[in-house]
Amino acid sequence: MAKKLLLKSLVVLAVLTLVAAGCGNDDGDDEVVAAFVYVGPPGDAGWTWAHDQGRQFAEEQTGATTLFVESVPEVAEDFRAVVVDFIENEGADIIFATSFGYMDPMEELAGEYPDVVFEHASGYKMNDTNFGNYFGRMYQPRYLSGMAAGAITEANRIGYVAAFPIPEVLRGINAFTLGAQRVNPDVEVHVTWTFTWFDPAVEGDSAAALIEAGADVIAMHQDSTAPGLAAEAAGARWVSYNSDMSEFAPDAFITAPVWNWGPYYARIIEAVASDSYTPGAYWGGMDDGIVALAPLAADVPADVAAEIDEVAAQLTDGSWDVFTGEIRDQDGNAVVAEGETMEDGAMLGMGFFVEGVVGSATG
Amino acid sequence: MIRPVLARREKVIPGTQAVAFVVGIAVALVLGVVLLSTSGHSPAEVYERMFDSAFMGSDSLARTLERATPLALTGLAVAVAGSMGLWNIGAEGQMMAGATIAAGVAMVADGLSGPLLIAVMMVCGVAGGMVLMLGPALARSHLGVSEIITTLMLVYVAIRVVEWLETGPWKDPDSFGFAVIEPVPEQASLPGLFGRANIGTLIALGLLIVFWLAVSRTAWGYELRLAGSSPNTARYAGISLRRKILTALLLSGGIAGLAGAVQLTGSATRLESGLSNGYGFAGIIVAALALMRPSGVAVAAVVFGAVQVGGQSIQTLGVSSAISDILQAMILFGALVAAVFFNYRIRWTGPAGQLPGDEPEEADLAVEGA
Repeated sequence: MAKKLLLKSLVVLAVLTLVAAGCGNDDGDDEVVAAFVYVGPPGDAGWTWAHDQGRQFAEEQTGATTLFVESVPEVAEDFRAVVVDFIENEGADIIFATSFGYMDPMEELAGEYPDVVFEHASGYKMNDTNFGNYFGRMYQPRYLSGMAAGAITEANRIGYVAAFPIPEVLRGINAFTLGAQRVNPDVEVHVTWTFTWFDPAVEGDSAAALIEAGADVIAMHQDSTAPGLAAEAAGARWVSYNSDMSEFAPDAFITAPVWNWGPYYARIIEAVASDSYTPGAYWGGMDDGIVALAPLAADVPADVAAEIDEVAAQLTDGSWDVFTGEIRDQDGNAVVAEGETMEDGAMLGMGFFVEGVVGSATG
Repeated sequence: MIRPVLARREKVIPGTQAVAFVVGIAVALVLGVVLLSTSGHSPAEVYERMFDSAFMGSDSLARTLERATPLALTGLAVAVAGSMGLWNIGAEGQMMAGATIAAGVAMVADGLSGPLLIAVMMVCGVAGGMVLMLGPALARSHLGVSEIITTLMLVYVAIRVVEWLETGPWKDPDSFGFAVIEPVPEQASLPGLFGRANIGTLIALGLLIVFWLAVSRTAWGYELRLAGSSPNTARYAGISLRRKILTALLLSGGIAGLAGAVQLTGSATRLESGLSNGYGFAGIIVAALALMRPSGVAVAAVVFGAVQVGGQSIQTLGVSSAISDILQAMILFGALVAAVFFNYRIRWTGPAGQLPGDEPEEADLAVEGA
């Protein structure tokens, strides 16, 4: 009896193993497997959450299998290990890496695995065959969110909790400030550097300190909700980032510039599935829907809300862009002449603060 | 009141350390079955992947060695200080300091040939770690300031310095404004062994052997251990505690600094604020697993490296990083607890207090002359 049972279990085990092995070898033939490497947890409600929403959207849209690993440190040995496992054990055809620090090891891996497509968010490296990069013109909805914040602030002092003094963040602060100045020329934007993308304690403390110093609106380039919680607790207002975070601080929330990665992910997966992928340096804006503005709070004045809609329409149809002159830097020097619009190259390397920002552009 | 105290076993049975490792890990793996089953994973599949990714095939083995190398060096750094009863909690920062000086010298000396440049960078790495350790070491040896706090605090100083260099003076002009430091010169890459393993592993192994011999087989090592375990005896024997503290801490900092240089010329392509990647802090666990003996560090580092590789790999199977972290922690904790119980025993002390022969063996280090 016992022997029979053992034999039966062994047969079942053997069959299961064969089935499992079969599954493992099958993929890659007809179905695309897209694997995502996240720098944080999808539960952050911020940066990684937005990418994970995009992954889920793309999976529904294309029927591809998607996989992800969260909280992967931005060092070669960690990133490589995850990607090699994805490719060799899970049959991944596309790797999406969603943080800047993965760039160097991704470049190496793209050379080692020519049959796999590598797409890197927020970086600047690429090749001609299987390695591209992608990002969005977040400065556009940031400008719009600045308009809303400029209308709401009564102290004319907005606090901005910012991660690192790099062009992406400087561009966002400048766009936000220009937007706020459009509706409120007296506004000042005070910047605090945290030197972290995701550290709720530091971000919350920075926001609280800015409020203590007189700011009544907090904006942020951070990945947690902590600045919003600090604003809510202090009775101040808040412009979140990455996603609509209104549920975390319903009274403080004004609006948010948000990411919408899904359509891009779906497009790349479909291109790979149909063998029509070519790498590029994608930098889409509101015209492509990869960035957008979350709904406005009810107390944003109707005329400002209408103006935001108008500007959003211009940004979407391309008739106007944010960094159109005249724009002066902190020292009063004209950096963009009247009527001229900044080139992409200059925007990507932005290293200054516009007039009205209080803080150091070099950290 | 009767209370339990841990007392070191008078006779440690040879080989118990290895047995402790195996028993501890086995217990943790059994508990892990519950964890994995309740979170909806097949324990057999997960464990198989863990083992395969760390040990099966040369690429896997190389991956484990790639991680074990910085762990062995930081573990050795902590153990060298630990063999004298000192705690270097700041190996993470010394690693960064070593990598920073090594990266700096590579910028000005990028005309040197590969082997020479690498050698210079290694020496600078050691120097960088020592420089960061100099303050805490002097404060400990001359003023009696706890090195635990000072070494830890300097970790954040070292990381902040790299962040400042990244966004300021060392920003790569070819990076389109991105805050990155220029890559180390091509010729400064450590030669590979197989897969991702490089000769950094051999450097670590060589150093482990040197320190194992020095600590356990030389008069210098004997004095070091004596100064740690019974400072009064050492002082009576004419050993300068001050000098011993300085030497042990500076060596410890230097080894951690070397780990930074090895990492910079090995796995990394450039100096980054994330380069130390927690290896310095993990080195404390490695040294604890090795019971502060350089001889045990190699094994502990490989085990730790394998657990990290396996823990990373099972996440591509769909195991969440939280479950993976818990599993890794359980395995290491199991090994650690087992090691403690194999080397110590519980003794119950009575209300009368300690008996004359009962003084704790790890007496506090008194500062000479203070």
